[in-house]
Amino acid sequence: MQYLVQLLISGLAIGAIYGLIAMGFAVIYKSTGLVNFAQGEMTMITAYIAWTISTTVSGNVFVVALGAILAAVLLGLIIERLVMRPMLGEPVFATVMVTIGLAVILRSAINFIWDAYPHGLDIGMGRGIVHLGGIGVRTGQLAVIATLLLLLAAIWAFFRYSKVGVAMRAVAADDRTALLMGISATKVHALAWAASSVIAGIGGVFFALSYDLSPAMFQLGLKAFPATILGGLDAVLGSGLGGLLIGITENLAGGYLGSGMKEVAGFAMIIVVLMVRPFGIFGERDIERV
Amino acid sequence: MPTTIPHPTPQAAPLTATATDVLLEFRNIRIVYDNAIEAIRDVSIAVPEGSIVALLGSNGAGKSTLLKAMSGILYTEEGVIENGGIRFRNDEVHRLAPDELVRRGIVQVPEGRRVFAALTTDENLQMGGYTRTGAEARERRDKVFALFPRLHERRDQIAGYMSGGEQQMLAIGRALMTDPVLLALDEPSLGLAPLIIDRIYEVIVRLRDELKMTVLLVEQNAQRALDIADYGYILETGRVVLDGTAKKLTANEDVQEFYLGVSSSGRKSLRDVKHYKRRKRWLS
Repeated sequence: MQYLVQLLISGLAIGAIYGLIAMGFAVIYKSTGLVNFAQGEMTMITAYIAWTISTTVSGNVFVVALGAILAAVLLGLIIERLVMRPMLGEPVFATVMVTIGLAVILRSAINFIWDAYPHGLDIGMGRGIVHLGGIGVRTGQLAVIATLLLLLAAIWAFFRYSKVGVAMRAVAADDRTALLMGISATKVHALAWAASSVIAGIGGVFFALSYDLSPAMFQLGLKAFPATILGGLDAVLGSGLGGLLIGITENLAGGYLGSGMKEVAGFAMIIVVLMVRPFGIFGERDIERV
Repeated sequence: MPTTIPHPTPQAAPLTATATDVLLEFRNIRIVYDNAIEAIRDVSIAVPEGSIVALLGSNGAGKSTLLKAMSGILYTEEGVIENGGIRFRNDEVHRLAPDELVRRGIVQVPEGRRVFAALTTDENLQMGGYTRTGAEARERRDKVFALFPRLHERRDQIAGYMSGGEQQMLAIGRALMTDPVLLALDEPSLGLAPLIIDRIYEVIVRLRDELKMTVLLVEQNAQRALDIADYGYILETGRVVLDGTAKKLTANEDVQEFYLGVSSSGRKSLRDVKHYKRRKRWLS
Protein backbone atom coordinates (compact mmCIF):
# COMPACT_ATOMS: atom_id res chain seq x y z
CA MET A 1 0.00 0.00 0.00
CA GLN A 2 2.74 2.36 0.97
CA TYR A 3 4.59 1.42 -2.19
CA LEU A 4 1.50 2.23 -4.26
CA VAL A 5 1.06 5.64 -2.62
CA GLN A 6 4.73 6.36 -3.14
CA LEU A 7 4.41 5.48 -6.81
CA LEU A 8 1.28 7.58 -7.15
CA ILE A 9 2.86 10.62 -5.58
CA SER A 10 6.00 10.52 -7.66
CA GLY A 11 3.82 9.78 -10.68
CA LEU A 12 1.75 12.85 -9.96
CA ALA A 13 4.91 14.91 -9.53
CA ILE A 14 6.47 13.97 -12.86
CA GLY A 15 3.00 14.05 -14.40
CA ALA A 16 2.58 17.62 -13.22
CA ILE A 17 5.77 18.55 -15.08
CA TYR A 18 4.48 16.86 -18.24
CA GLY A 19 1.16 18.58 -17.63
CA LEU A 20 2.71 22.04 -17.45
CA ILE A 21 4.59 21.52 -20.70
CA ALA A 22 1.51 19.96 -22.28
CA MET A 23 -0.45 23.07 -21.36
CA GLY A 24 2.23 25.05 -23.17
CA PHE A 25 1.48 23.06 -26.33
CA ALA A 26 -2.25 23.53 -25.88
CA VAL A 27 -2.12 27.30 -25.30
CA ILE A 28 -0.33 27.80 -28.62
CA TYR A 29 -2.55 25.36 -30.46
CA LYS A 30 -5.68 26.89 -29.04
CA SER A 31 -4.91 30.41 -30.15
CA THR A 32 -2.84 29.90 -33.31
CA GLY A 33 -3.82 26.46 -34.57
CA LEU A 34 -0.18 25.36 -34.60
CA VAL A 35 1.69 22.56 -32.90
CA ASN A 36 4.93 23.98 -31.57
CA PHE A 37 7.48 21.20 -31.81
CA ALA A 38 10.07 23.41 -30.14
CA GLN A 39 8.13 23.41 -26.86
CA GLY A 40 10.52 21.01 -25.10
CA GLU A 41 13.52 23.03 -26.26
CA MET A 42 11.98 26.30 -25.07
CA THR A 43 11.33 24.63 -21.72
CA MET A 44 14.95 23.53 -21.54
CA ILE A 45 16.28 27.01 -22.34
CA THR A 46 14.14 28.58 -19.63
CA ALA A 47 15.47 26.05 -17.12
CA TYR A 48 19.06 26.78 -18.16
CA ILE A 49 18.47 30.52 -17.79
CA ALA A 50 17.07 29.90 -14.30
CA TRP A 51 20.19 27.94 -13.48
CA THR A 52 22.43 30.73 -14.80
CA ILE A 53 20.56 33.26 -12.67
CA SER A 54 20.92 31.05 -9.60
CA THR A 55 24.69 30.70 -10.06
CA THR A 56 25.54 34.24 -11.17
CA VAL A 57 22.98 36.63 -9.71
CA SER A 58 21.40 35.13 -6.62
CA GLY A 59 20.20 31.79 -5.42
CA ASN A 60 17.15 33.36 -3.80
CA VAL A 61 13.95 31.55 -4.81
CA PHE A 62 12.06 34.71 -5.71
CA VAL A 63 14.91 36.17 -7.77
CA VAL A 64 15.26 32.93 -9.70
CA ALA A 65 11.51 32.54 -10.20
CA LEU A 66 10.99 36.12 -11.35
CA GLY A 67 14.05 36.02 -13.59
CA ALA A 68 12.97 32.74 -15.15
CA ILE A 69 9.45 34.01 -15.82
CA LEU A 70 10.74 37.20 -17.44
CA ALA A 71 13.21 35.19 -19.51
CA ALA A 72 10.44 32.84 -20.62
CA VAL A 73 8.21 35.75 -21.64
CA LEU A 74 11.03 37.27 -23.67
CA LEU A 75 11.88 33.95 -25.26
CA GLY A 76 8.28 33.42 -26.31
CA LEU A 77 7.91 36.95 -27.68
CA ILE A 78 11.21 36.82 -29.58
CA ILE A 79 10.38 33.50 -31.21
CA GLU A 80 6.90 34.70 -32.15
CA ARG A 81 8.22 37.95 -33.63
CA LEU A 82 11.29 36.63 -35.45
CA VAL A 83 10.24 33.17 -36.54
CA MET A 84 6.47 32.73 -36.40
CA ARG A 85 5.08 36.07 -37.53
CA PRO A 86 6.77 35.99 -40.94
CA MET A 87 5.09 32.63 -41.41
CA LEU A 88 1.62 34.07 -40.80
CA GLY A 89 -0.73 33.07 -43.59
CA GLU A 90 1.64 30.39 -44.89
CA PRO A 91 0.44 26.79 -44.96
CA VAL A 92 0.20 25.18 -41.54
CA PHE A 93 2.46 22.34 -42.62
CA ALA A 94 5.28 24.74 -43.53
CA THR A 95 4.86 26.61 -40.26
CA VAL A 96 5.01 23.41 -38.22
CA MET A 97 8.16 22.43 -40.12
CA VAL A 98 9.63 25.78 -39.08
CA THR A 99 9.02 24.92 -35.42
CA ILE A 100 10.86 21.63 -35.97
CA GLY A 101 13.81 23.53 -37.42
CA LEU A 102 13.65 25.92 -34.52
CA ALA A 103 13.73 22.96 -32.14
CA VAL A 104 17.02 21.72 -33.60
CA ILE A 105 18.57 25.19 -33.43
CA LEU A 106 17.55 25.72 -29.81
CA ARG A 107 18.80 22.25 -28.91
CA SER A 108 22.24 23.08 -30.28
CA ALA A 109 22.14 26.50 -28.65
CA ILE A 110 22.46 24.77 -25.28
CA ASN A 111 25.88 23.49 -26.28
CA PHE A 112 26.96 26.86 -27.71
CA ILE A 113 25.82 28.98 -24.80
CA TRP A 114 26.23 26.57 -21.89
CA ASP A 115 27.87 23.15 -22.05
CA ALA A 116 27.03 19.49 -22.39
CA TYR A 117 27.53 18.57 -18.71
CA PRO A 118 24.68 17.95 -16.32
CA HIS A 119 24.08 20.63 -13.69
CA GLY A 120 22.02 20.71 -10.55
CA LEU A 121 19.73 23.65 -9.98
CA ASP A 122 20.22 24.48 -6.31
CA ILE A 123 18.13 27.22 -4.77
CA GLY A 124 18.18 25.63 -1.35
CA MET A 125 14.69 24.27 -1.80
CA GLY A 126 12.87 21.38 -3.32
CA ARG A 127 15.22 18.59 -2.30
CA GLY A 128 14.20 18.40 1.35
CA ILE A 129 11.96 15.52 2.37
CA VAL A 130 8.75 15.79 4.34
CA HIS A 131 7.04 12.79 5.84
CA LEU A 132 3.35 12.42 5.23
CA GLY A 133 1.96 9.49 7.17
CA GLY A 134 5.21 7.61 6.94
CA ILE A 135 5.78 8.35 3.28
CA GLY A 136 8.74 10.49 2.37
CA VAL A 137 7.94 13.11 -0.26
CA ARG A 138 10.30 15.71 -1.67
CA THR A 139 9.11 19.27 -1.19
CA GLY A 140 9.82 19.96 -4.86
CA GLN A 141 7.34 17.24 -5.80
CA LEU A 142 4.65 18.72 -3.61
CA ALA A 143 5.38 22.18 -4.95
CA VAL A 144 5.07 21.16 -8.59
CA ILE A 145 1.75 19.40 -7.99
CA ALA A 146 0.44 22.46 -6.15
CA THR A 147 1.71 24.75 -8.92
CA LEU A 148 -0.02 22.72 -11.60
CA LEU A 149 -3.32 22.77 -9.75
CA LEU A 150 -3.00 26.49 -9.12
CA LEU A 151 -2.21 27.20 -12.76
CA LEU A 152 -5.07 24.99 -13.93
CA ALA A 153 -7.46 27.07 -11.85
CA ALA A 154 -5.89 30.36 -12.95
CA ILE A 155 -5.96 29.44 -16.62
CA TRP A 156 -9.53 28.21 -16.42
CA ALA A 157 -10.55 31.55 -14.92
CA PHE A 158 -8.48 33.44 -17.50
CA PHE A 159 -10.16 31.79 -20.49
CA ARG A 160 -13.58 31.99 -18.88
CA TYR A 161 -13.67 35.50 -17.46
CA SER A 162 -10.97 37.78 -18.84
CA LYS A 163 -11.54 39.77 -22.01
CA VAL A 164 -8.17 38.75 -23.41
CA GLY A 165 -8.82 35.10 -22.60
CA VAL A 166 -12.15 35.19 -24.41
CA ALA A 167 -10.40 36.97 -27.30
CA MET A 168 -7.90 34.12 -27.51
CA ARG A 169 -10.76 31.66 -27.86
CA ALA A 170 -12.38 33.89 -30.46
CA VAL A 171 -9.18 34.13 -32.51
CA ALA A 172 -8.75 30.38 -32.31
CA ALA A 173 -12.31 29.79 -33.48
CA ASP A 174 -12.40 32.32 -36.32
CA ASP A 175 -9.46 34.65 -36.69
CA ARG A 176 -10.88 36.57 -39.66
CA THR A 177 -14.05 37.53 -37.81
CA ALA A 178 -11.94 38.40 -34.77
CA LEU A 179 -10.06 40.83 -37.02
CA LEU A 180 -13.37 42.37 -38.09
CA MET A 181 -14.13 43.05 -34.43
CA GLY A 182 -10.85 44.89 -34.01
CA ILE A 183 -9.06 42.07 -32.21
CA SER A 184 -5.46 42.09 -33.38
CA ALA A 185 -4.57 38.47 -34.12
CA THR A 186 -0.84 39.19 -33.98
CA LYS A 187 -1.10 40.56 -30.45
CA VAL A 188 -3.11 37.56 -29.35
CA HIS A 189 -0.57 35.23 -30.96
CA ALA A 190 2.33 37.00 -29.26
CA LEU A 191 0.57 36.71 -25.94
CA ALA A 192 -0.07 33.01 -26.50
CA TRP A 193 3.60 32.37 -27.23
CA ALA A 194 4.68 34.27 -24.15
CA ALA A 195 2.14 32.49 -21.92
CA SER A 196 3.00 29.10 -23.34
CA SER A 197 6.70 29.71 -22.82
CA VAL A 198 6.14 30.69 -19.19
CA ILE A 199 3.84 27.78 -18.34
CA ALA A 200 6.14 25.22 -19.91
CA GLY A 201 9.20 26.99 -18.45
CA ILE A 202 7.80 26.58 -14.95
CA GLY A 203 7.60 22.86 -15.63
CA GLY A 204 11.20 22.89 -16.83
CA VAL A 205 12.47 24.68 -13.73
CA PHE A 206 10.68 22.22 -11.47
CA PHE A 207 12.20 19.37 -13.41
CA ALA A 208 15.65 20.87 -12.92
CA LEU A 209 14.93 21.25 -9.21
CA SER A 210 14.00 17.62 -8.72
CA TYR A 211 16.37 16.07 -11.22
CA ASP A 212 19.20 17.64 -13.21
CA LEU A 213 19.74 19.98 -16.10
CA SER A 214 21.21 18.38 -19.15
CA PRO A 215 21.12 18.97 -22.89
CA ALA A 216 18.80 15.97 -23.15
CA MET A 217 16.09 17.79 -21.23
CA PHE A 218 14.28 18.69 -24.45
CA GLN A 219 12.95 15.12 -24.40
CA LEU A 220 10.49 16.37 -21.83
CA GLY A 221 8.68 17.85 -24.81
CA LEU A 222 8.42 14.42 -26.39
CA LYS A 223 6.86 13.11 -23.17
CA ALA A 224 4.53 16.06 -22.78
CA PHE A 225 3.27 16.10 -26.37
CA PRO A 226 1.41 12.78 -25.93
CA ALA A 227 -0.11 14.25 -22.78
CA THR A 228 -1.48 17.08 -24.88
CA ILE A 229 -2.85 14.69 -27.47
CA LEU A 230 -4.36 12.59 -24.70
CA GLY A 231 -6.05 15.56 -23.04
CA GLY A 232 -7.00 17.15 -26.34
CA LEU A 233 -4.81 19.54 -28.31
CA ASP A 234 -7.32 22.34 -27.97
CA ALA A 235 -8.03 21.68 -24.29
CA VAL A 236 -5.59 23.55 -22.08
CA LEU A 237 -6.94 22.13 -18.84
CA GLY A 238 -7.33 18.70 -20.38
CA SER A 239 -3.66 18.76 -21.34
CA GLY A 240 -2.66 19.47 -17.77
CA LEU A 241 -4.73 16.52 -16.56
CA GLY A 242 -3.41 14.42 -19.44
CA GLY A 243 0.07 15.02 -18.08
CA LEU A 244 -0.96 13.74 -14.65
CA LEU A 245 -2.51 10.63 -16.20
CA ILE A 246 0.61 9.85 -18.18
CA GLY A 247 2.85 10.43 -15.17
CA ILE A 248 0.82 8.06 -13.00
CA THR A 249 0.51 5.39 -15.66
CA GLU A 250 4.24 5.51 -16.33
CA ASN A 251 5.13 5.20 -12.70
CA LEU A 252 2.69 2.41 -11.91
CA ALA A 253 3.83 0.42 -14.92
CA GLY A 254 7.45 1.05 -14.03
CA GLY A 255 6.88 0.05 -10.42
CA TYR A 256 4.84 -3.10 -10.93
CA LEU A 257 5.74 -4.34 -14.39
CA GLY A 258 9.43 -3.49 -14.46
CA SER A 259 11.29 -0.42 -15.52
CA GLY A 260 11.27 -1.50 -19.16
CA MET A 261 7.52 -0.93 -19.23
CA LYS A 262 7.85 2.62 -17.93
CA GLU A 263 8.58 4.18 -21.30
CA VAL A 264 6.00 2.05 -23.09
CA ALA A 265 3.03 2.34 -20.76
CA GLY A 266 2.16 5.97 -21.38
CA PHE A 267 2.19 5.57 -25.14
CA ALA A 268 0.23 2.32 -24.98
CA MET A 269 -2.47 4.14 -23.04
CA ILE A 270 -2.50 6.95 -25.58
CA ILE A 271 -3.02 4.54 -28.45
CA VAL A 272 -5.97 2.96 -26.68
CA VAL A 273 -7.55 6.29 -25.68
CA LEU A 274 -7.16 7.81 -29.13
CA MET A 275 -8.86 4.80 -30.69
CA VAL A 276 -11.90 5.59 -28.57
CA ARG A 277 -11.67 9.39 -28.62
CA PRO A 278 -9.53 10.51 -31.55
CA PHE A 279 -9.61 14.15 -30.48
CA GLY A 280 -8.43 13.43 -26.92
CA ILE A 281 -10.29 12.99 -23.68
CA PHE A 282 -11.23 16.64 -23.31
CA GLY A 283 -10.79 17.79 -26.92
CA GLU A 284 -13.72 19.48 -28.60
CA ARG A 285 -13.23 18.86 -32.27
CA ASP A 286 -11.33 16.88 -34.83
CA ILE A 287 -7.77 17.91 -35.11
CA GLU A 288 -7.08 18.03 -38.79
CA ARG A 289 -4.79 20.99 -39.14
CA VAL A 290 -1.70 19.43 -37.56
CA MET B 1 -32.21 57.07 -27.88
CA PRO B 2 -29.05 59.14 -27.37
CA THR B 3 -26.03 58.39 -29.50
CA THR B 4 -22.39 59.12 -29.05
CA ILE B 5 -21.70 59.44 -32.73
CA PRO B 6 -19.89 62.67 -33.41
CA HIS B 7 -20.75 64.50 -36.55
CA PRO B 8 -17.91 65.16 -38.95
CA THR B 9 -16.70 68.65 -39.56
CA PRO B 10 -18.25 70.21 -42.63
CA GLN B 11 -16.34 69.29 -45.75
CA ALA B 12 -15.92 70.69 -49.19
CA ALA B 13 -18.62 69.78 -51.67
CA PRO B 14 -18.80 66.00 -52.07
CA LEU B 15 -18.37 64.39 -55.44
CA THR B 16 -21.86 63.03 -55.67
CA ALA B 17 -24.91 65.10 -56.23
CA THR B 18 -26.43 64.23 -52.87
CA ALA B 19 -26.88 67.03 -50.44
CA THR B 20 -25.40 65.26 -47.41
CA ASP B 21 -21.75 64.68 -46.69
CA VAL B 22 -20.09 61.60 -48.04
CA LEU B 23 -18.96 59.43 -45.15
CA LEU B 24 -17.34 56.54 -46.98
CA GLU B 25 -16.11 56.58 -50.51
CA PHE B 26 -14.58 53.94 -52.74
CA ARG B 27 -12.68 55.91 -55.31
CA ASN B 28 -11.88 54.30 -58.62
CA ILE B 29 -10.84 51.18 -56.82
CA ARG B 30 -9.30 48.12 -58.46
CA ILE B 31 -8.81 44.92 -56.47
CA VAL B 32 -6.80 41.94 -57.61
CA TYR B 33 -6.56 38.53 -55.95
CA ASP B 34 -3.40 36.43 -56.17
CA ASN B 35 -1.88 38.88 -58.67
CA ALA B 36 -4.12 37.37 -61.29
CA ILE B 37 -7.84 37.63 -60.71
CA GLU B 38 -9.36 41.04 -61.08
CA ALA B 39 -12.30 41.07 -58.69
CA ILE B 40 -13.13 44.77 -58.76
CA ARG B 41 -12.43 47.08 -61.67
CA ASP B 42 -12.54 50.86 -61.32
CA VAL B 43 -15.45 51.01 -58.92
CA SER B 44 -16.52 54.28 -57.34
CA ILE B 45 -19.15 54.24 -54.63
CA ALA B 46 -20.18 57.01 -52.28
CA VAL B 47 -22.02 56.37 -49.03
CA PRO B 48 -23.59 59.60 -47.74
CA GLU B 49 -23.76 60.12 -44.00
CA GLY B 50 -26.96 58.96 -42.34
CA SER B 51 -28.27 56.99 -45.31
CA ILE B 52 -28.76 53.38 -46.27
CA VAL B 53 -26.90 52.52 -49.44
CA ALA B 54 -27.67 49.19 -51.07
CA LEU B 55 -25.00 47.30 -52.94
CA LEU B 56 -26.72 44.80 -55.20
CA GLY B 57 -25.57 42.13 -57.55
CA SER B 58 -25.47 38.41 -58.05
CA ASN B 59 -23.00 35.92 -56.63
CA GLY B 60 -19.40 36.71 -57.46
CA ALA B 61 -20.10 40.28 -58.50
CA GLY B 62 -17.53 41.53 -56.01
CA LYS B 63 -19.78 42.86 -53.26
CA SER B 64 -18.09 41.02 -50.43
CA THR B 65 -14.68 41.90 -51.85
CA LEU B 66 -15.52 45.58 -51.48
CA LEU B 67 -16.50 45.04 -47.85
CA LYS B 68 -13.31 43.13 -47.16
CA ALA B 69 -11.33 46.00 -48.63
CA MET B 70 -13.28 48.40 -46.44
CA SER B 71 -12.41 46.40 -43.31
CA GLY B 72 -8.77 45.95 -44.27
CA ILE B 73 -8.82 42.15 -44.38
CA LEU B 74 -8.17 41.62 -48.09
CA TYR B 75 -4.65 40.51 -47.26
CA THR B 76 -5.95 37.37 -45.58
CA GLU B 77 -7.03 36.18 -49.03
CA GLU B 78 -4.05 37.50 -50.97
CA GLY B 79 -6.12 40.41 -52.22
CA VAL B 80 -4.51 43.74 -53.03
CA ILE B 81 -5.88 47.18 -53.85
CA GLU B 82 -3.96 47.95 -57.01
CA ASN B 83 -5.46 51.28 -57.81
CA GLY B 84 -7.61 53.94 -56.24
CA GLY B 85 -8.52 53.93 -52.61
CA ILE B 86 -11.05 54.21 -49.85
CA ARG B 87 -11.77 57.43 -48.00
CA PHE B 88 -13.58 57.70 -44.70
CA ARG B 89 -14.38 61.22 -43.52
CA ASN B 90 -11.98 62.43 -46.18
CA ASP B 91 -9.07 60.39 -44.79
CA GLU B 92 -7.33 57.71 -46.79
CA VAL B 93 -8.11 54.54 -44.85
CA HIS B 94 -7.32 51.64 -47.14
CA ARG B 95 -3.86 51.11 -45.68
CA LEU B 96 -5.01 50.99 -42.06
CA ALA B 97 -5.00 47.83 -39.95
CA PRO B 98 -8.37 46.19 -39.27
CA ASP B 99 -8.38 47.13 -35.58
CA GLU B 100 -7.66 50.79 -36.40
CA LEU B 101 -10.59 50.82 -38.84
CA VAL B 102 -12.86 49.45 -36.14
CA ARG B 103 -11.64 52.15 -33.73
CA ARG B 104 -12.53 54.79 -36.32
CA GLY B 105 -16.06 53.44 -36.54
CA ILE B 106 -16.13 51.18 -39.59
CA VAL B 107 -17.49 47.73 -38.93
CA GLN B 108 -19.18 44.98 -40.88
CA VAL B 109 -21.44 42.06 -40.15
CA PRO B 110 -19.83 39.37 -42.26
CA GLU B 111 -21.64 37.11 -44.67
CA GLY B 112 -23.04 34.01 -42.99
CA ARG B 113 -23.17 35.75 -39.58
CA ARG B 114 -19.96 34.19 -38.34
CA VAL B 115 -20.77 34.31 -34.66
CA PHE B 116 -18.13 32.73 -32.43
CA ALA B 117 -19.95 29.43 -32.11
CA ALA B 118 -18.29 28.15 -28.94
CA LEU B 119 -18.75 31.44 -27.10
CA THR B 120 -21.89 32.57 -25.28
CA THR B 121 -24.02 35.48 -26.44
CA ASP B 122 -22.48 37.68 -23.76
CA GLU B 123 -18.96 36.69 -24.75
CA ASN B 124 -19.71 37.33 -28.42
CA LEU B 125 -20.91 40.82 -27.52
CA GLN B 126 -17.86 41.31 -25.34
CA MET B 127 -15.69 40.56 -28.37
CA GLY B 128 -17.57 43.20 -30.32
CA GLY B 129 -16.64 45.67 -27.60
CA TYR B 130 -13.01 44.57 -27.60
CA THR B 131 -11.67 47.93 -28.74
CA ARG B 132 -13.77 49.83 -26.18
CA THR B 133 -13.25 50.24 -22.47
CA GLY B 134 -15.20 48.11 -20.01
CA ALA B 135 -17.62 50.91 -19.11
CA GLU B 136 -18.26 51.85 -22.75
CA ALA B 137 -18.83 48.20 -23.62
CA ARG B 138 -21.36 47.73 -20.82
CA GLU B 139 -23.24 50.82 -21.96
CA ARG B 140 -23.26 49.60 -25.56
CA ARG B 141 -24.43 46.18 -24.44
CA ASP B 142 -27.47 47.63 -22.75
CA LYS B 143 -28.35 49.43 -25.97
CA VAL B 144 -27.94 46.22 -27.96
CA PHE B 145 -30.20 44.39 -25.52
CA ALA B 146 -32.77 47.19 -25.89
CA LEU B 147 -32.64 46.72 -29.65
CA PHE B 148 -32.74 42.92 -29.48
CA PRO B 149 -34.51 41.82 -26.28
CA ARG B 150 -34.18 38.27 -27.54
CA LEU B 151 -30.41 38.44 -27.04
CA HIS B 152 -30.92 39.41 -23.44
CA GLU B 153 -32.99 36.28 -22.88
CA ARG B 154 -30.25 34.23 -24.48
CA ARG B 155 -27.24 35.90 -22.98
CA ASP B 156 -25.73 32.77 -21.43
CA GLN B 157 -26.56 30.56 -24.38
CA ILE B 158 -23.75 29.10 -26.51
CA ALA B 159 -24.06 31.01 -29.80
CA GLY B 160 -23.59 27.96 -31.98
CA TYR B 161 -26.78 26.41 -30.65
CA MET B 162 -29.00 29.40 -31.40
CA SER B 163 -31.30 29.69 -34.38
CA GLY B 164 -30.23 31.42 -37.59
CA GLY B 165 -32.30 34.48 -36.79
CA GLU B 166 -30.88 34.79 -33.29
CA GLN B 167 -27.40 34.36 -34.66
CA GLN B 168 -28.03 37.15 -37.16
CA MET B 169 -29.25 39.40 -34.36
CA LEU B 170 -26.16 38.49 -32.36
CA ALA B 171 -23.89 39.23 -35.34
CA ILE B 172 -25.49 42.65 -35.77
CA GLY B 173 -25.43 43.27 -32.01
CA ARG B 174 -21.79 42.30 -31.88
CA ALA B 175 -20.98 44.78 -34.65
CA LEU B 176 -22.97 47.49 -32.86
CA MET B 177 -20.84 46.88 -29.77
CA THR B 178 -17.93 48.52 -31.59
CA ASP B 179 -19.89 51.81 -31.52
CA PRO B 180 -19.82 52.16 -35.31
CA VAL B 181 -20.38 55.22 -37.46
CA LEU B 182 -20.70 53.09 -40.54
CA LEU B 183 -22.26 49.65 -40.33
CA ALA B 184 -21.93 47.35 -43.32
CA LEU B 185 -24.09 44.25 -43.53
CA ASP B 186 -23.18 41.43 -45.89
CA GLU B 187 -26.35 39.59 -46.92
CA PRO B 188 -28.22 39.84 -43.62
CA SER B 189 -31.22 38.00 -45.09
CA LEU B 190 -29.25 34.96 -46.19
CA GLY B 191 -30.93 31.73 -45.19
CA LEU B 192 -33.52 33.33 -42.90
CA ALA B 193 -37.29 32.98 -42.79
CA PRO B 194 -39.23 35.95 -44.26
CA LEU B 195 -40.61 36.95 -40.87
CA ILE B 196 -37.15 37.07 -39.35
CA ILE B 197 -35.91 39.08 -42.31
CA ASP B 198 -38.68 41.61 -41.66
CA ARG B 199 -37.49 41.91 -38.08
CA ILE B 200 -33.85 42.38 -39.11
CA TYR B 201 -34.79 45.00 -41.70
CA GLU B 202 -36.90 46.91 -39.20
CA VAL B 203 -33.83 47.16 -37.01
CA ILE B 204 -31.68 48.36 -39.90
CA VAL B 205 -34.17 51.15 -40.59
CA ARG B 206 -34.20 52.07 -36.90
CA LEU B 207 -30.42 52.26 -36.90
CA ARG B 208 -30.58 54.90 -39.59
CA ASP B 209 -33.62 56.82 -38.35
CA GLU B 210 -33.11 56.71 -34.59
CA LEU B 211 -29.37 56.24 -34.16
CA LYS B 212 -28.38 58.27 -37.24
CA MET B 213 -26.13 55.45 -38.33
CA THR B 214 -24.90 55.09 -41.88
CA VAL B 215 -25.57 51.68 -43.39
CA LEU B 216 -23.96 49.94 -46.35
CA LEU B 217 -26.25 47.06 -47.18
CA VAL B 218 -24.97 44.29 -49.41
CA GLU B 219 -27.74 42.06 -50.71
CA GLN B 220 -28.73 39.58 -53.34
CA ASN B 221 -32.29 40.12 -52.25
CA ALA B 222 -32.69 43.34 -54.26
CA GLN B 223 -36.37 43.84 -53.52
CA ARG B 224 -35.86 43.90 -49.79
CA ALA B 225 -32.81 46.10 -49.95
CA LEU B 226 -34.33 48.69 -52.29
CA ASP B 227 -37.43 48.89 -50.09
CA ILE B 228 -35.45 50.50 -47.29
CA ALA B 229 -32.42 51.96 -49.06
CA ASP B 230 -31.95 55.59 -50.06
CA TYR B 231 -29.53 54.88 -52.84
CA GLY B 232 -28.36 51.81 -54.69
CA TYR B 233 -25.49 50.52 -56.75
CA ILE B 234 -25.65 47.48 -58.97
CA LEU B 235 -22.46 45.51 -59.34
CA GLU B 236 -21.80 43.03 -62.10
CA THR B 237 -18.54 41.12 -62.52
CA GLY B 238 -16.57 43.66 -60.58
CA ARG B 239 -17.99 46.85 -62.09
CA VAL B 240 -20.74 49.24 -61.18
CA VAL B 241 -23.25 48.93 -64.01
CA LEU B 242 -26.02 51.09 -62.64
CA ASP B 243 -26.62 53.40 -59.76
CA GLY B 244 -29.32 55.75 -58.61
CA THR B 245 -31.82 56.48 -55.90
CA ALA B 246 -33.67 53.44 -54.65
CA LYS B 247 -36.86 54.78 -56.22
CA LYS B 248 -35.25 55.18 -59.60
CA LEU B 249 -33.70 51.72 -59.49
CA THR B 250 -36.96 50.10 -58.47
CA ALA B 251 -38.66 51.73 -61.43
CA ASN B 252 -35.93 50.79 -63.86
CA GLU B 253 -37.10 48.17 -66.33
CA ASP B 254 -33.84 46.29 -66.48
CA VAL B 255 -33.54 46.15 -62.72
CA GLN B 256 -37.08 44.83 -62.55
CA GLU B 257 -36.26 42.22 -65.11
CA PHE B 258 -33.00 40.99 -63.61
CA TYR B 259 -33.20 41.64 -59.92
CA LEU B 260 -36.81 42.09 -58.92
CA GLY B 261 -38.23 39.22 -60.93
CA VAL B 262 -40.79 41.39 -62.68
CA SER B 263 -41.17 40.70 -66.35
CA SER B 264 -42.11 43.68 -68.46
CA SER B 265 -42.66 42.07 -71.84
CA GLY B 266 -44.78 39.09 -70.98
CA ARG B 267 -43.65 35.78 -69.59
CA LYS B 268 -40.93 34.23 -71.69
CA SER B 269 -39.43 30.82 -71.32
CA LEU B 270 -36.42 30.58 -69.07
CA ARG B 271 -34.30 29.96 -72.10
CA ASP B 272 -35.37 33.21 -73.71
CA VAL B 273 -34.60 35.09 -70.54
CA LYS B 274 -31.17 33.56 -70.40
CA HIS B 275 -30.56 34.45 -74.00
CA TYR B 276 -31.74 37.95 -73.39
CA LYS B 277 -29.45 38.19 -70.40
CA ARG B 278 -26.52 37.09 -72.43
CA ARG B 279 -27.24 39.47 -75.25
CA LYS B 280 -28.01 42.50 -73.21
CA ARG B 281 -25.06 44.06 -71.47
CA TRP B 282 -25.25 46.82 -68.94
CA LEU B 283 -22.21 48.58 -70.17
CA SER B 284 -21.16 49.50 -73.62
